[in-house]
Amino acid sequence: MTGIVVQDVSRAFGAVQAVRAATLRAEPGRVTGLVGPNGAGKTTLLLMLASLLAPDTGTISIGGVDPAVDPLAARRLLGWMPDALGAWPSLTARETVVTTARLYGIEKPDAEARAQQLLTMVGLADLADAPAKVLSRGQKQKLGLARALVHDPRILLLDEPASGLDPEARVQLRVLLRRFAAEGRTVLISSHILSELEEVVDDAVFLVAGTVVDAAPTQSSVRAWRVRLADATPERMNADTWQVASSLGLAPEALAVDRGAVLVGFDGEGAAAQSLRRLVEAGLPVAEFAPAQSDLEHTFLNLSHAPQQQAQPPAPQPPQASTPAPPPPAAPPAPPAAPTGTEAGA
Amino acid sequence: MSLANIGIIARLELTQRLRSVGWYVMLGVFALVLLGVTGLAFAVYSWGDAVGAGVYSIVVNIVLLLVVLVSPTLSGNAINGDRDAATLAAVQVTAVSTGDIMLGKLVAAIATGGAFLVVALPFLALSLLGGGADALVLLVSLLVLAAEIIIVAAIGVGLSGLIARPLFSVATTYLVVAALVFGTLIAFGLGGMAVRSEATVSSRPYDANGNVDCERWEENTSYEVPRFDLVWWTLAANPFVVLADATPTEFSPDGYPVDLFGQIKYGLRSAQQSPLDQRWDECAPDGGYRTPEEVIDASVPSWFVGLGVQVVIAGSLFAGAWARTRTPARRLPPGTRIA
Repeated sequence: MTGIVVQDVSRAFGAVQAVRAATLRAEPGRVTGLVGPNGAGKTTLLLMLASLLAPDTGTISIGGVDPAVDPLAARRLLGWMPDALGAWPSLTARETVVTTARLYGIEKPDAEARAQQLLTMVGLADLADAPAKVLSRGQKQKLGLARALVHDPRILLLDEPASGLDPEARVQLRVLLRRFAAEGRTVLISSHILSELEEVVDDAVFLVAGTVVDAAPTQSSVRAWRVRLADATPERMNADTWQVASSLGLAPEALAVDRGAVLVGFDGEGAAAQSLRRLVEAGLPVAEFAPAQSDLEHTFLNLSHAPQQQAQPPAPQPPQASTPAPPPPAAPPAPPAAPTGTEAGA
Repeated sequence: MSLANIGIIARLELTQRLRSVGWYVMLGVFALVLLGVTGLAFAVYSWGDAVGAGVYSIVVNIVLLLVVLVSPTLSGNAINGDRDAATLAAVQVTAVSTGDIMLGKLVAAIATGGAFLVVALPFLALSLLGGGADALVLLVSLLVLAAEIIIVAAIGVGLSGLIARPLFSVATTYLVVAALVFGTLIAFGLGGMAVRSEATVSSRPYDANGNVDCERWEENTSYEVPRFDLVWWTLAANPFVVLADATPTEFSPDGYPVDLFGQIKYGLRSAQQSPLDQRWDECAPDGGYRTPEEVIDASVPSWFVGLGVQVVIAGSLFAGAWARTRTPARRLPPGTRIA
């Protein structure tokens, strides 16, 4: 089992070059995230992996099978969950899964047993006999997942699987994906919700304008950290900012404020750890000390992509900056919308 | 490609249709229409001895009319409708082949057209009350009707795979079917009227005693006549003409067709006769008048040509759609998304 290997794959739709010479690997036993702004070519790439779209150039290997050469063999290996699930409106959830199983050549009794098992697993057992058209968006996503898993695929391609899911279902999805990876399956998942993706992926592939970009150089850049003192209140923010700034030897004007916390820029995890020690040694009641953005989000927003640069919240100056251009504390930067994720390029 | 897969796809299509109320309403309305038509047909054919055959032919023609009118709506969005609903890709990504999908959808569309025939069965049985039709007529007409159902279904499924928008593919299916049903009639009518020639009318001269001279002809008048004999072939591809022309005609003892099939066939075959030399022969019994039976016997059948034209149209549209639906897709119809 070789997972997914994509080599120099390009695909154009008329004059629009959707994917350009993309090269990537997704290893068995690992969850690989496919990250990129809208229109970066994620869905096009997944369609090619799912054997529905032929690449113009380049080769794809799905578990050792080239889907352009032997699509039927590739389809038996892969499970594909599209971003928009088309449900047959008058079929029930159970019939949808059974029919899909039958289309994979699974005999009827086995198909019915499998449907029951999968619907229970994704949490749709209560709605198994409801017509698919009454399902909510999140429930349809669950149905789509059950459908993608019906033939026990070794390779899973998930396009925005978490959209529409409630928090509990997201946690379940995460657990499920980790389990698949532990079973040695290859999981490739695309998502905009970077903070969530971060909790489940082992590797990340960044796709910008159809090209896989190397995310490594951005690791050294400055990141914003949230520092919140115990029982912070809005009225106390000026005092807190001053305390943090003076303990770290910074100008208070150099620090921004975000939802009860002070934002401080650090040059790396070493600098952050050192500063934390100084804050604690100075007797400050530090209640929260964490990166303001997830790793993925940080990398994503720092990709060499002009619109992203503008969308990025201005990071506070690093502690060592000798010529500060302080942002006025009265105008806090746009906070990174952590709970809902960042749709870059929107 | 496998029969099992085709069956699953067809059942998937039909299940969705069977669960919509509108479908049953439509079949109910169709049954009511047939009830009225059958009643009228009994009245129409009450003059002859073969009432059953006449009623039977009318019911079969009405079924064909309904298939032609309704089938495009039901099959004309088979593929692009699924594409729009994002359910096509969900099927394409499974272990079924493009052929399974295409043939499964075709089978479902045929079964839908066949449902009209099933609703019509009681009315066909009613025609037995009036003596029924000849066994050969029954067999051939039902076979041709089945062929027409398949052809209209293939045209609909084909266009739905070639045209991106369901609305346009349904409309185009209607246009193609209308071209066969009405277009051929219009071409025939306009073509025949547009091409005119001088026709002469001849009759036997009378001698001085007032007796008919059976040795000679006398030209009386000449006038312009439309030349339908030059354009009759445009009707060949008309589904109703194919049905009528292919079905063996039964004649009453005096040489008249007993059913609608025969009457349509007589119309077509008469059009084949040249109108240029019209003769009134007083020396011959019946004045040289030829019965429909004689006219039909002296003319050529054309239904296989018409059916062949239809098969080529439907087959090429279906094959084109097959190529367009193949995955992994190289070219997509403009404006479509796979999923």
